Amino acid sequence: MAAIEMTPVVSVNRDGRFAKALIYIGGGILVVAALAALLAPLLTKWGPTEIDPSGTLAAPGGEHLLGTDGNGMDVWSRVLHAARLDLGIAVLAVALAVVVGTILGLLAGYLGGWVDDVLMRIVDIFQAFPTFILALAVSALLGGGFVNLVITIAAVNAPAYARLVRAEVRTLREMQYIDAAKTSGASTIGIMWRHLLPNSLTPVRVIAPLNCGWAMLTLAGLSFLGLGVTVPTAEWGSMISLGTSDVVAGRWWTSVPPGLALLVCVLGFSLLGEGLQERADARRR
Amino acid sequence: MPSETSTREQAVTMLDIQDLSVVIHRPGRQVAALSNVSFSVAPGEVVGLVGESGGGKSMVARAIVGMLPSGSHATGRVGFDGADVLRMDAADLAAHRGRGAAICFQNPRGALSPTRTVGRQLIDRLVTHQEMTGERARETAKELFESVGIRNPARRLEAYPHELSGGMAQRVMISLATGCAPGLLIADEPTTGLDVTLTREILRQFRHAADTDGRGVLLISHDLASIAEVCDRVVVLYAGTVVETGPAAKVLREPAHPYTRALLRSVPDVGGGRVVATAGGMPLMTAAPHDCPFAPRCAHAGDDCRSTRPETTALEPGWSLACFHPQQAPLAEATSGEPTKADTRIGDVVLKIEDAHVVYRSRFGSGGHHALRGVSLELKTGETLGVVGESGCGKSTLAKLIMGLVEPSEGSVEVAGKSVKKQSRAERTRAQMVFQDPIGSLSPRRTVGDSIAEPLRAAKVSTAERAKKTEAALARMELDGSILTRLPHELSGGQAQRIGIARALVGQPDLIVFDEPTSALDVTVQAQILDVIADVAADAGHGSVFISHDLATVRGFADRVVVLYLGRVVEEGPVDEVFDRPKHPYTRALLGSAPRLGETRTAAVQLVKDLDEADAATGCALAARCPFVTDTCRSQEQTLQSYGESRAACWRVPELPALIEKS
Repeated sequence: MAAIEMTPVVSVNRDGRFAKALIYIGGGILVVAALAALLAPLLTKWGPTEIDPSGTLAAPGGEHLLGTDGNGMDVWSRVLHAARLDLGIAVLAVALAVVVGTILGLLAGYLGGWVDDVLMRIVDIFQAFPTFILALAVSALLGGGFVNLVITIAAVNAPAYARLVRAEVRTLREMQYIDAAKTSGASTIGIMWRHLLPNSLTPVRVIAPLNCGWAMLTLAGLSFLGLGVTVPTAEWGSMISLGTSDVVAGRWWTSVPPGLALLVCVLGFSLLGEGLQERADARRR
Repeated sequence: MPSETSTREQAVTMLDIQDLSVVIHRPGRQVAALSNVSFSVAPGEVVGLVGESGGGKSMVARAIVGMLPSGSHATGRVGFDGADVLRMDAADLAAHRGRGAAICFQNPRGALSPTRTVGRQLIDRLVTHQEMTGERARETAKELFESVGIRNPARRLEAYPHELSGGMAQRVMISLATGCAPGLLIADEPTTGLDVTLTREILRQFRHAADTDGRGVLLISHDLASIAEVCDRVVVLYAGTVVETGPAAKVLREPAHPYTRALLRSVPDVGGGRVVATAGGMPLMTAAPHDCPFAPRCAHAGDDCRSTRPETTALEPGWSLACFHPQQAPLAEATSGEPTKADTRIGDVVLKIEDAHVVYRSRFGSGGHHALRGVSLELKTGETLGVVGESGCGKSTLAKLIMGLVEPSEGSVEVAGKSVKKQSRAERTRAQMVFQDPIGSLSPRRTVGDSIAEPLRAAKVSTAERAKKTEAALARMELDGSILTRLPHELSGGQAQRIGIARALVGQPDLIVFDEPTSALDVTVQAQILDVIADVAADAGHGSVFISHDLATVRGFADRVVVLYLGRVVEEGPVDEVFDRPKHPYTRALLGSAPRLGETRTAAVQLVKDLDEADAATGCALAARCPFVTDTCRSQEQTLQSYGESRAACWRVPELPALIEKS
């Protein structure tokens, strides 16, 4: 008897191999970048702000792997050391945004009523401005420096998390297991902490890595405009900013390496986020 | 594979499935969804396809319309009017679907497009498939709506799916399916989630389609008892194999296959018959079975059952089964006999509701939904109170009210002598609830152990004590300790509901509310859980409230019954009194609609409209639907009055027997 086959019409993505590949590649890039940042002193001969008296704007090769910039500082060393600042601020800022946003979202979503109204109107105000403009304004207000930059970037990102978690909580709070928790005598805090929080974090887990890449770009953008980290501290954005005039003169090495580093790291975060998204979708099916 | 259909039947057979096997390949696993299935449907015949979920019922339906899931590998033949559906090309399939065989889906609202009026959807279909002009299609659509019992069809054509009730949506679905004049109408669980009164009405529509238009009808259901009445023949599926095929009357009254018997005995009966539970669950097959798939759960299984797969053999012409040990005794004997209710000591009052009203305010604008309109109840420890009524009558609101999840807008609720409003956290755990959705009522990211111990946490019980009590509750549910570390999605429905009951029991509460605890479960699992609940409800230590739309399950272990209608108590009394000698017309109608195995129905009250069409403005709540309505009913609010042992809210109770006689 002849057999009839129904061939799958959907792509191979369904089994999650694609998602896994994305997660591994993205994660791999980030691990390498993080290691390079941590081990920067071991991988470089020169300090990031150390000036080589023997020459400024030296071409790559020889004493300086990627040459020197206009101040005579080693570009390779600066690119690696800058990773500490860029990755560090981005990750910390997003972590802070997730924590603050999630707490606000939980409160607004579960308590509802005036708490919801007040919190969400504040969120509305934050979200009414284009995010980068808002970042510019906040950082102009707070000034530069590591802590202030973390706060600035967290502040512009937290509202999105508040909204995301609130939406999630509003559907979850109608679930039977929340009723079950209430009838089991659980307190409001207990319900939020033990039942709503763990169940509402799935979308946050997907968005956060993508958001880290975006946070790095914001930081670099601020520094590029002179609002973030200032010279001589090593930071990719400010390095690119300093090096723009050199490119015209044909000295590409002062701005291209930090630009590439930025690109690769943002790509790493994007791939990781995509992969997580893909995996979450595959599970939902 | 030999066919049991005679040559005479062969000639008129429309659907003829021969030796159909479907294996679904997925990365890392494979499922034998169907193994050597053979059966047929003739024009004008209603065939019931029954069995529990996972048995392959829906896969048969998909095979008939050529919509097998991706990755399936099908062998055999799905003959339809001489052609083989499995070998049709895309163009033939398109013509076959709709005109040859049409499906009514389980969830009619999901199958209707939400942004277009139902009339538009029906008319479009008529224009495309029947090549009608717009004007004629509209006329035909109206006629189709009328034929499935939709009143005021012209107005309903303009309705969007969300404006329709479940029963109305299912009617629209039937009219969509019959619109293209299909030879075969397939209904996949058409009445799941509908009330008894509606179920009967919808099933009658299918019988009507077979009788008047000569269509073949394939009714797919997990509930043999409810569809039996309209079926000519039934096909019983288990683990992808046909275990029994035969005339509905025979299979229902004296089923020969042990699985069919188990299925029937699992269904509680309004007559008061006791449920006999069959342990275990349906296996998931990875390949066609080489033994009897039911053998591990079968009381009659011998070594032959475990080593060879029984061939399908004819018992009588038209009645065949796949079993080495066919049973013969009529089933009725096994299920009859009064249930033995343990004599429990009735103690103090644990629940007292006085004239409670609940109004759900709409968020915008004025108005709202008046879900409960003056309900008064009292319950003592050791007592079990059954609450019945159609969906939308306020059953779930009553449960929420007792649990303090909604506040009464008027009246009071006291649990264990304390007003629900003033309870402390620990006091709140004195009343516990077992929910309708077993898995959905467990927190998805909390382990089973965590969930069970939750009430103890609120009562500030020490960690060591918590573990001990959790173990004890688990043992009572006959579950192994290893289940404690699992997450809800790793549980079967039956296990999850046992966990839910364990959670309710763990703090030794004064009151347990069971809110439709078995309606989401498969029939044989339902019987197992009902056994557990009967045991729990018989405890003298607490009172129980058992809420269900299924009258038969309530009769099983309630002492007293309350019949709710549109937020009011219309009848109340001892369970046997209410079930055997119902007073209120509504109770009579409910009982008349409940399926009874192998019995012809006695003259029952027929309600004249669906619940959603009846809006009570003044007077008796049932006035719009009651066949015995008078002007007095329409103008006077009815209150509970004593009639014998029970109380009913109807002034015409004494005249009713005579009135029913006349109608």
